Amino acid sequence: MTTNGHTVTDEEIITCRDVHKWYGNFHALRGVTTSVKKGEVVVIIGPSGSGKSTFIRCINRLEQHQRGDITVDGIELTNDVRNIDAIRRDVGMVFQSFNLFPHLTVMNNITLAPIKVRHLPAKEAEDIAMELLERVGIPEQSDKYPAQLSGGQQQRVAIARALAMQPNIMLFDEPTSALDPEMIKEVLEVMRELAESQMTILAVSHELGFAREVADRIVMFDEGIIVEDQPPDEFFNNPRHERVKHFLSQIL
Amino acid sequence: MAADTTQNAAAQVLPPPRTEVGVIGWMHANLFSSRLNSALTVVSSALLLVILWYGLRWIFWSADWTVVERVGGLFLIGSYNTELACPGQNCFWRPQVSLLLVTALLGMIWGIMGGGVAKRIAILAAVVAALFAFLPYSLDDMGWDVRFLLLANLPSTALGWAVARYTPLGQPRWAVAWGVAVFLITLVLQRGLPNVPGLQPVSVVYWGGLTLNLILAVGGISLSLPIGIALALGRRSNLPVVKLLCVVFIEVFRGVPLITLLFMSQTLVPLAFPENFPQNSLFRAAVVITLFSSAYMAENIRGGLQALHPGQAEAARALGLPGWQTTLLISLPQAIRNVIPAIVGQFIALFKDTSLVYIIGMVDIVEIGRVFISRPEYLASAREMFVFLAVVFWVFCYGMSYVSRHIERNLGVGER
Repeated sequence: MTTNGHTVTDEEIITCRDVHKWYGNFHALRGVTTSVKKGEVVVIIGPSGSGKSTFIRCINRLEQHQRGDITVDGIELTNDVRNIDAIRRDVGMVFQSFNLFPHLTVMNNITLAPIKVRHLPAKEAEDIAMELLERVGIPEQSDKYPAQLSGGQQQRVAIARALAMQPNIMLFDEPTSALDPEMIKEVLEVMRELAESQMTILAVSHELGFAREVADRIVMFDEGIIVEDQPPDEFFNNPRHERVKHFLSQIL
Repeated sequence: MAADTTQNAAAQVLPPPRTEVGVIGWMHANLFSSRLNSALTVVSSALLLVILWYGLRWIFWSADWTVVERVGGLFLIGSYNTELACPGQNCFWRPQVSLLLVTALLGMIWGIMGGGVAKRIAILAAVVAALFAFLPYSLDDMGWDVRFLLLANLPSTALGWAVARYTPLGQPRWAVAWGVAVFLITLVLQRGLPNVPGLQPVSVVYWGGLTLNLILAVGGISLSLPIGIALALGRRSNLPVVKLLCVVFIEVFRGVPLITLLFMSQTLVPLAFPENFPQNSLFRAAVVITLFSSAYMAENIRGGLQALHPGQAEAARALGLPGWQTTLLISLPQAIRNVIPAIVGQFIALFKDTSLVYIIGMVDIVEIGRVFISRPEYLASAREMFVFLAVVFWVFCYGMSYVSRHIERNLGVGER
């Protein structure tokens, strides 16, 4: 199956069945059932408070779901610490606020996890880091500290840092929401290139242009459930749900 | 038609007006920016002149500094070298050898850091120590051997520097190892060893002077930081028992005055041990000072941990770093550097608090001064004595604050 120019296999890499999550009394996820295939690019949209960020944070267990099953890369998410660490090594995550480590240089931000978790020799980790920095277009910044970079550059370092663990899945939690317009473009460019390299991507994003061009599916969350799950053309031209129409009319 | 506000020519870059730059600009901005400000400047200048006039006149003319000269070496080591403490021999060389080891350590740090603050401090310490050798009056029957040992601080600093520069030992961890070794060697040297000629034991009750303050402060500072970190992490732990123990420890030690704790260490703690158990009042005092300081340190560090953005730990966990590595590599370094001013403040407070050991009968530098001015011939010299003590404390405390400022600046690379 080919959509938007990249190959999607039939192998399911993320499977969620009836996932529920509460924060105290607040019911944030109210029964989410979906799956993502290897190589697929899924963009998640929805109004604020709809549970979309909570959902992708459940996939690498930064949040714990309380009912239902999530299986990632063949491993079921339980409280077993070994499983959680195994999944986190396989799932890269990029945050809205970058979350680079301010006390480490760009190079050390990227090589930290490969050296400490994958036990790569420092030299090898640095070679990989340099390759990744070239891939995201800022090899000359490797010795600087995060605070010396622009927001767009910081987010590209964050992407390189996640990729350094050689993940099978990348999660993006509103990666461009904290950026100025001209920097949004450079980050989306990197994400587009990543999608073309057959990476499985789950991205919470309000960049509808990006979603239309790159996504295989657009999923809309509202009040803790999935209200629409369609390929981009269908989603924009022929939304089935009234709430999707309303949402699109508000942000377009 | 609206007025055309756009300019056709490129904007010109002009120098700032003369009143904004240079000495005149600075004075205008800081001293005479308003009528009130000008009035305050005039009044405080007048006040300052009066104080300086009388202060300097007292220091150089009316003050009688002989009391400071008379106390001499007692300031440094108390009654350590008296006939009572060290019968039949001269023990003054022991603290002096310790001083040599310390200057070698400072030289080593200078060699590792390659200049800057470390260089200035190492040179200052060596030169001041060597200058003591030229004092005209006697530092407790200061013979040529003593003067020679003091002068040896210069080559010892150079030796430390050379070792750091030209051997593989020039690494921070070796400096730390040498620092720990110096502290332990100092303790053994001061205490002495039974049955070793020349090293006959000296009871800790005779330890005193600045040496006592420094031993308590160095021990307290280097142990209260790690203990404080452990307590801070324990207090944030998810394990209820660990958390409870840490909270109770911190609140008990913070909630009781240090003086009370010191008294309890001397009166209550011995009751908990068998009668012939080896007892060491100095050790008990050191433990109390360290634990007291650790409780404050824990709260400082907890403050630093709390100020961290939760995204930092999340990002580390998302990369697959286990919890302990996240704490060790991501949270703690950032937390500690955010609270360096508070940590150094606690170090300074600890150093000053070491003079409280006088209440349990130890003769620290302040107590020596107090004892001297209660003698009839020095009754009139209290002012000189306390001014001198104030300067000694100020030099060490300002030194700590000076070093911390430079550490902050060096660590601040790329910080917000």
